[in-house]
Amino acid sequence: MKTPLVLLLIASAALIQPRITTGQAAPAAGPGALTVGGDVKEPLTVTAADFKAMPRTTVTVNEEGREVKYEGVLVAEILKRAGVPLGRDMSAGAVASYVLAGAKDGYQVVFSVAELDPGFTSNDIIIADTIDGKPLFDYQGPLRIVAPHDKRGARSIRMLQTLTVVRLRK
Amino acid sequence: MRRVVPTVAAGLVLGSVLSLAQQLPAAYDWQIPAAFPKPRIPPDNPITGPKAELGRYLFYDTRLSGNGTQSCATCHDQARAFTDARPVAVGSTGQPHPRGSMSLVNVAFSAALTWANPLMTRLEDQALVPMFGDHPVELGLKQPADDLLARLRSAQEYPRLFGAAFGPSPDPFSLTNVVNAIASFERTILSFRSPYDRYHYDRDDDAISAAAKRGEQLFFSSPLSCFRCHSGFTFSSAVDFDGRRESGGPEFHNTGLYNLPGPLSYPAPNTGLYEVTKRPGDVGKFKAPTLRNIAVTAPYMHDGSIATLEGVLDHYSAGGRTIADGLLKGVGHDNPNRSPTVSGFTLTADQRADVIAFLQALTDNAVLHDPRFTNPWTHY
Repeated sequence: MKTPLVLLLIASAALIQPRITTGQAAPAAGPGALTVGGDVKEPLTVTAADFKAMPRTTVTVNEEGREVKYEGVLVAEILKRAGVPLGRDMSAGAVASYVLAGAKDGYQVVFSVAELDPGFTSNDIIIADTIDGKPLFDYQGPLRIVAPHDKRGARSIRMLQTLTVVRLRK
Repeated sequence: MRRVVPTVAAGLVLGSVLSLAQQLPAAYDWQIPAAFPKPRIPPDNPITGPKAELGRYLFYDTRLSGNGTQSCATCHDQARAFTDARPVAVGSTGQPHPRGSMSLVNVAFSAALTWANPLMTRLEDQALVPMFGDHPVELGLKQPADDLLARLRSAQEYPRLFGAAFGPSPDPFSLTNVVNAIASFERTILSFRSPYDRYHYDRDDDAISAAAKRGEQLFFSSPLSCFRCHSGFTFSSAVDFDGRRESGGPEFHNTGLYNLPGPLSYPAPNTGLYEVTKRPGDVGKFKAPTLRNIAVTAPYMHDGSIATLEGVLDHYSAGGRTIADGLLKGVGHDNPNRSPTVSGFTLTADQRADVIAFLQALTDNAVLHDPRFTNPWTHY
């Protein structure tokens, strides 16, 4: 994962600066917590304890020849709790929605809502809080996104703090 | 009989397999922790213990220089992570090399060797450059290698070592076998035992200091972005390893170290990748060397022009080096080929100390003193 991160990260700082035209950016909460805001019915702050109580998903990624297991919660599970329409509830307009993920260090990446939704894809994109059964390292966590089927790791954003949902067509 | 025949046949097959196994060299014991991949080995130079051991003798042997004054180890000192503490290397005839000696630690994982040559990918090929190159003269040997091979043949230790590595016949004393053995030894110099490794791979939270952990966060943060070029388990440019599915092709970067007027913004002959490609956009692009053991490999950069790690942080925090006066005067930040990753950042004094502490946690004292990599000639 580390090596793939390199190339896209180089491009990302310059290119991934989406102009948010709708919704309010989710403010960062305290350490270990994730805030979910923007175009959502129920803005959320999800604590570390909340994560542990949610349905858990494990994904395995290959990091330079080594199989590494990340465990956490599907991003879609968080979106569902924030009232974001998913699956068959997603209208034609709602498909034109994306999630801006923000990190403690200012790094940002974007996913479309549909690609996070198990009703659309089998991407299994999670918000992880453990690596090989242990808490993430400080430089990774406490939370990070893991997109196990991305060919490069640039969107597996570390030090995740905010998810901001942007619906382009209302 | 109906039972005996299959039994006998199976016995013969088993015997053949055992016989074959006895003829094959034992698989090399890398002693690599499970968290790390194994090096990719060229099919035409499989690694064996005796071959690597012969390579160690050759690596430390001054017979490999034309005037008998230098060996590979002269410029690749184990105690300095196989570098030499000089800004640029100095050959056996006193001729300076344009660039500094690179560390050989984990060189087996390098997708490209040397500072800026994407075409140099095999250690077997690279070994010939210091041996026979004359631009500059390094070890100062002359082709054909008859004189070298005669010197090796006459040394008391080598018939046994060459025989063990390559068999007694055909004549094992050949230049190909010499470089195959040296390359095999170099591939064995692996570093996985730093405090950082104990912290990161063994999950020993006390292996590195709190300052080093803060430094790690800074190292991997967007503002500093050190990890974008010094990536992966070697903290270097792209790596290759056994079983890698995607090519980890070589990468080269212009860090804004110089900005001379004119088409060549870096001082000749060190124009970087441009030397090979002749593309103007490649002027000043060099490999990001491994940061493992970086605390013991001063001075830094391809030409040793920065004396300390603190100085390197100054260079990167400024987003390129400004040289105010003299022949090299220029604002590196304005170099047209400067990587956008080297954009500059601001650190407090404490944060600088934290980054340095992190880099120091990458020092693997075990590899610096491992008897498998030491000079074997000292007890003769």
